[in-house]
Amino acid sequence: MILDLHSHSTVSDDGRAKVENYCQWIKRKEIPIDGFVLTEHRLYDDASDYRSLEDQFGLLILKASEVETEYGHVLVFGVTQELQAAFNFSQINLSLATVLEESERCGGIAVPCHPGRPRVGMCAHIGTRGEVEGVRTIETLNGGSRGNENEQAASLAARKGYARIGGSDSHIVSHIGRCATRLHAEVRDMNELVASLKEGGCEAVKLEDRAWIPES
Amino acid sequence: MDTGELKRQWVGKTFDTVSFEIEAETMLQFALACGEELPRYTDPEDPDFQAVPNYTSCFHGTRTLPEGFPMNMEESFDGGKCVEWKAPIRAGDTITAQSHLHDVYEKTGRSGGMVFIVHRMQFTNQNQKLVAVVDWKMIRKTG
Repeated sequence: MILDLHSHSTVSDDGRAKVENYCQWIKRKEIPIDGFVLTEHRLYDDASDYRSLEDQFGLLILKASEVETEYGHVLVFGVTQELQAAFNFSQINLSLATVLEESERCGGIAVPCHPGRPRVGMCAHIGTRGEVEGVRTIETLNGGSRGNENEQAASLAARKGYARIGGSDSHIVSHIGRCATRLHAEVRDMNELVASLKEGGCEAVKLEDRAWIPES
Repeated sequence: MDTGELKRQWVGKTFDTVSFEIEAETMLQFALACGEELPRYTDPEDPDFQAVPNYTSCFHGTRTLPEGFPMNMEESFDGGKCVEWKAPIRAGDTITAQSHLHDVYEKTGRSGGMVFIVHRMQFTNQNQKLVAVVDWKMIRKTG
């Protein structure tokens, strides 16, 4: 099963894509993907309900969040009301340790994203702040990465033995599905996605010539 | 700087109100500058002649920020405008624009930290009908 685990809609302050338009694009361009996760910036979108779009387009559409910590940005899957009460999603200087611990405590999982990116990726901060305990998975393929940012992330994953995910980090319609995650198990909802990620049953893949290619 | 406190103190309070008389020639020139070709935007004789949807992006109030706003935005940069079209603007309309701060928030990116000030202008016509909402983002780097 292939899911794009990192995308933004107009709910994010810098998102320019409506969710319906993502669905239309995926179908029109025949992108071989089973669904995507909306990881809105610094918030969890309680209000939106995409079930009718799921039915209409035959896609799985899940909701998560991208928060900001002293080690950079972090995707949080399995957001609950309890987790939203545990820390302020809108703050830009959250403690990564807190985000990791609270996510686990509340049944979710936190995944540092684009770790090779300057300033907002984990690699840039390990040298000054030290290694991070509690990370089990990182995003090693990000569709918005430049230069060798994805390679840095892959090196970190190899060195630390982290599981790997991929996501497009799309903010506009045509970027959805540039990178994604192959899940070893079928998932039907966020609980099953979190379980799959915690088991490490995932790999980062990128789309080339209409086929999913593992990261090199 | 506490953006939460800024938000609590300054967001949502109207600080400027201005009115504009809408002229066909100005609407036409703006439409042509945008590359529009549809008669309803480019032909004043068209029965549905109206301003292009982004027309309100060219209007400014008398001030950018409320008086006494504590953040120096002289070194800010323009984050662009988002226009939400609500209803047609016609030649001869009198449009009133009211300004308030809609949001204040921080984020981090590959270039560092930033504070976003979102200035919102709400445009109503002479019949008190809301015709457009324009959000203008001003960005100040913080590190």
